[in-house]
Amino acid sequence: MRLQYIIGKLIEIVIIFFIILTVLFFLFRLSPGDPISKVVDPMLTPEDMKHLISQMGLDKPMWEQYLIYLKNFFTGSFGVSFHYGEPVSQIIKNRLGWTIILFTTSTALAAMVGVFLGKVAAWNKGSRIDNIMSISALVCYTLFIPWFALLLLWVLGFKLDLFPLGGVLSPELWVGNTSWFVKLIDLIHHMILPMMTLFIINLGSYLLLMRSSMLSVLREDYIVTARAKGLGEKTIRDKHAAKNAALPVITSVGLSLAFSINGGALTEQIFTWPGIGRELIFAVSNNDYPLAQACFLLIALVVLVANLIVDILYAWLDPRITY
Amino acid sequence: MHPNTLRTALQLKTQAKLTIHFILLAGMLTLAAFVFLSCQKTEENRFLKIGLPEEPRSLNLWLGTDANSRKILSQIYQPLFNRHPETLEIIPWLAAAPPVFDKEALTYTVTLRNAKWSDGSDFTSDDVLFTKTLFFDFKIPRYYSKWKIIKKVEAPDAHTVVFHLKKPSAIFMSRVMTAPIVSRKEWESVANEALKKEKPLRSLQDHAVEAPLGTGPFMLTEYKKGAFIHMQKNPHFFGKGQTIGGHVLGPYINDILFRVYGTSDVAILALKKGDIDYYWWDIQPGYIKDLKEQDNVDLYFNKKSALYYLGFNVRKAPFNDKAVRQAIATVVDKEFILTRILQNFGTPMHSIVPSGNHFWHNPDVRKYGNGKSKAERLKAAATLLADAGYSWDTPPVGPDGSIATPSEILMPDGNKMEKFVILTPPADYDPKRAFAGTMIQEWLRELGLPAFSRPMAFNSLLDTVKGKHEFDAFVLGYGKLNLDPDYLRAFFYSKNDKPRGWNMSGYKNPEFDRIADLQRTLVDTSKRKELILEMQRMILDDVPYLPLYNPHIIEATLNENFRGWVAKVDGIGNIWSICVLKPVE
Amino acid sequence: MPGWTRGLPIDDIDDKDKDVLKNHYIERFVKGWRIFIRNPVGKTGVGILAVFMAMALASFFLPLFDSMYDPMTGIDPAITISTPPSLTHWLGTDNVGRDIFAQLLEGAKVAFIVGLSSAFFSIVLGTIIGMVSGYAGGWVDACLMRMADIIMVMPSLVILLILASLFGQFNIWLIVFIIAIMRWPAVSRVIRSQTLSLKQRPFIEASRVAGASSLRIIFRHIMPNVLPLAFLYMTFRVTAAILVEAALSFLGFGDPSQVSWGMMLQWVWKSGHMFQAPYWLIPPGVSISLLTLAFYMLGRAMDEVLDPRLRKEGQS
Repeated sequence: MRLQYIIGKLIEIVIIFFIILTVLFFLFRLSPGDPISKVVDPMLTPEDMKHLISQMGLDKPMWEQYLIYLKNFFTGSFGVSFHYGEPVSQIIKNRLGWTIILFTTSTALAAMVGVFLGKVAAWNKGSRIDNIMSISALVCYTLFIPWFALLLLWVLGFKLDLFPLGGVLSPELWVGNTSWFVKLIDLIHHMILPMMTLFIINLGSYLLLMRSSMLSVLREDYIVTARAKGLGEKTIRDKHAAKNAALPVITSVGLSLAFSINGGALTEQIFTWPGIGRELIFAVSNNDYPLAQACFLLIALVVLVANLIVDILYAWLDPRITY
Repeated sequence: MHPNTLRTALQLKTQAKLTIHFILLAGMLTLAAFVFLSCQKTEENRFLKIGLPEEPRSLNLWLGTDANSRKILSQIYQPLFNRHPETLEIIPWLAAAPPVFDKEALTYTVTLRNAKWSDGSDFTSDDVLFTKTLFFDFKIPRYYSKWKIIKKVEAPDAHTVVFHLKKPSAIFMSRVMTAPIVSRKEWESVANEALKKEKPLRSLQDHAVEAPLGTGPFMLTEYKKGAFIHMQKNPHFFGKGQTIGGHVLGPYINDILFRVYGTSDVAILALKKGDIDYYWWDIQPGYIKDLKEQDNVDLYFNKKSALYYLGFNVRKAPFNDKAVRQAIATVVDKEFILTRILQNFGTPMHSIVPSGNHFWHNPDVRKYGNGKSKAERLKAAATLLADAGYSWDTPPVGPDGSIATPSEILMPDGNKMEKFVILTPPADYDPKRAFAGTMIQEWLRELGLPAFSRPMAFNSLLDTVKGKHEFDAFVLGYGKLNLDPDYLRAFFYSKNDKPRGWNMSGYKNPEFDRIADLQRTLVDTSKRKELILEMQRMILDDVPYLPLYNPHIIEATLNENFRGWVAKVDGIGNIWSICVLKPVE
Repeated sequence: MPGWTRGLPIDDIDDKDKDVLKNHYIERFVKGWRIFIRNPVGKTGVGILAVFMAMALASFFLPLFDSMYDPMTGIDPAITISTPPSLTHWLGTDNVGRDIFAQLLEGAKVAFIVGLSSAFFSIVLGTIIGMVSGYAGGWVDACLMRMADIIMVMPSLVILLILASLFGQFNIWLIVFIIAIMRWPAVSRVIRSQTLSLKQRPFIEASRVAGASSLRIIFRHIMPNVLPLAFLYMTFRVTAAILVEAALSFLGFGDPSQVSWGMMLQWVWKSGHMFQAPYWLIPPGVSISLLTLAFYMLGRAMDEVLDPRLRKEGQS
């Protein structure tokens, strides 16, 4: 039964994936302009432009382009970026690492701190601690990301001069004979500000989620039973309540991926972090179809799989849910 | 495993991880502070550090045609002739002397310098031959269309090249001889491979170039994508110690580091902080006040070879009527645009050729509202329209000369004029043009013209204006016009009125076409100049384009480490600066 | 399941009882409002909202006072650069001499328009689709919910960027519409499960036997019971919509003919005044946070009103 369910879900994912792929393909090509329509250079004659367009294969009928794209896709090729002239897979490989580092560290940290603080807030519901925490979490949650990121950069990077102003490393350290240890520290040094931005923004939502999850757990019968049994408050809070309340928070990490990509792209842009989100926005505004499509498909795939894992986990952990 | 056991495990893990991460974070902060302090001391090695606004597209010369790739590649690949930084004349660069022109045989004979490629091999006439073959084989955009006038190229010896032309050409020096020359060694096998492919040009452009081979002052050492580009002095640079263009060339610096800043604000903070020596990009006037107060920052204001203009669709009503266009030219307040929108960093424009290009600029074109007060301009424009048969129920200027809010204008046939849209780029692309559009709309409404300014995403804007020709009017610009005024022909030649063609207005004038063709064939510059001036006069009489303004290019450098930037039209970011910049003792 | 759904479904009652019922609803509302306003979170939220509403209303009157206070085209003739706060310009001017305070007021208006209308549209869409999906079941349900999945997994900002290049340029209503399209799935899921449980109730079965059409059952019997939940969701949607519009405008994909807070931030950014003019940078950023915060607080407080179990916890 469960295996069947998983297989069914997998088939569903494949179908959804291809719908997204197709929609994206036509969406990009129907949008006005093409990869060279942005060029304002009187040196480029209309003949030159026609030549360039045909070299990109964009002069063929759209269905033919689609078939070529599908064929390439099944042979494992995402094509070559119009903008960079590099295979798309290589560009993504290059950028993805940076995004993963930033995203995983900030999310993991935010989830852990969020769970901890949310627990404390829920346990002291209605107290001053709870109010302060809830309100600050709400503020974090509603912060306008680029505005906040630039402010952070200005205060910590410029005024106090504690951190570098964006980028992933200090070039002058990397061109010389510098030990790997110093290079590593340099990387971490550059990572702190963007990580802090994402951390603060994510923290709010995890704290709020944990708080409400904890509150609902505290109303469950088994907590009442635990109290009746005369167990210590601390044991009830940490062993019984928080344990169960943290589950939805952890699973929501996967579900919130799509949201994180929005904030991630903006953060990457401001901190000049060469990640996938920044590249995606750039590819879209440049009409770099192959790159934009591939980035997008990758994100869609990750989110779909994360959702599947969450579904399966839930089904497995919560005996009340049957499919 | 029972769910509850898993939950316990998860929870325990969470807490353990939490502790570990806190410790890690604290450790990281301390270490970072430590490294930061140590970094401060090790900055003895003098790099010239340059900030870029965007990642360069490619190190492949045929693909990297964007502004940022050119900043890198123009240090590497060199042309035969270059522009003098001050006089803007075309002077020998890779060539040893000005070309010898044979009027009868239509040949240019060019002698080459004893230059070397950055790997130490000789630069010879064979490389020029190869470059020409490459342009022709692949129909390389930008170059092929100009080089087409060449019948053949010969190399009598290793340092002489003879160009045979099909017909006399005025743009031979400015457009053909300024193309970069590449080496046969680097490109021959790549080109042969690419020619066999289904899409030859695309294959050539997609070839990954790791170490571009050039003759310029610098060569590429390392490119770490997304992080930095490191260039080092080319020991074989032909210009070393030579006096060219009035400068004794170096380079006097050993290393250049390029890095990207995602937003200008951050780049300027980096400049103020001393992280970079120069931000190679135009700075918005908003920063000037603050930067002027900085002792360690120098500001440069230079003229741009640029044209920002209001274009009309002369193919259809209402702008097929010259009177309407002239009336609009009269009410547009260029002084306002200059003081408000450019914050006084620029010049108002009256002709298509910018005034910075003194040789070709025509100062005596019709200037419409220039120097008039607002009321005078309105009156002049209203008169122009009334004379051409337009009327108002309530005219903008009453019989007693008083200014009033007019009713909507009526066409000569008595119908109301249809609403028209002025397309502009969006404010994030260029706040100046977007805002100019809004202001023009207001001025036109004071005349009773139903104008609506509408910003449009840049891609779509060009697609609408240049591709489909479905528009009324637009505000666009060329940030980097070639110094040779042949673009006048490109913009207004009747045959260029086609999809993707540069005659976006749809201007048609047989007399203009004739002069435009004629000036192309005149090798004698003074004779050609007369025709160029005449062309500007014709355009400003008919106003298919109304030139608006020419902003200054504003740049900032750090003066603590390097000095000696060479200012020229289009700013200090040029090969001359790179060649003569010296470290501060 | 929240307690309020346990109340009597209205259509079980004869027409003559409708008035009694109406009173019952008013009573419930008044009671709810009392609980709501006692809640400190709700009180703060309503307070902030009132301030912003006053600002939005004021935006209609300021330009009448003097045309230089028009947020888009009004220009102080004496000022050609960005100036700090003064008596004539309480928050200073931008670089072309437009009043920042006037723009801030206009921004409040636009934020309300964008937030409320896109939230409203997404709730309407989400509720209808959720009800239809839950009621119909089978392949209709499967298709609609898979569609919801697809939209839900997409990063909305990126989709909006693609659409921005597709449409050339957004106007404010297009943005509202697209945000609504992007945001209905979460609502429809909740409404669907609500509908699923309602479907099992005897009164639905009874009206079906009595020959009521599916449409009638959905709109007359199910909708009144899911509406409170839908309105609760609306407050959260408003928050999201305002943030998305701001981000979009900030990135330069907004409606350029419309002053909004995101647009103000974009101007301060693009004109190079980001770190030069705090009087220009700070107000719109803070306003975005405050207004979204207010809506969020409102939602939280409403949640407690609608769910008696939470209330009991809160009061003990």
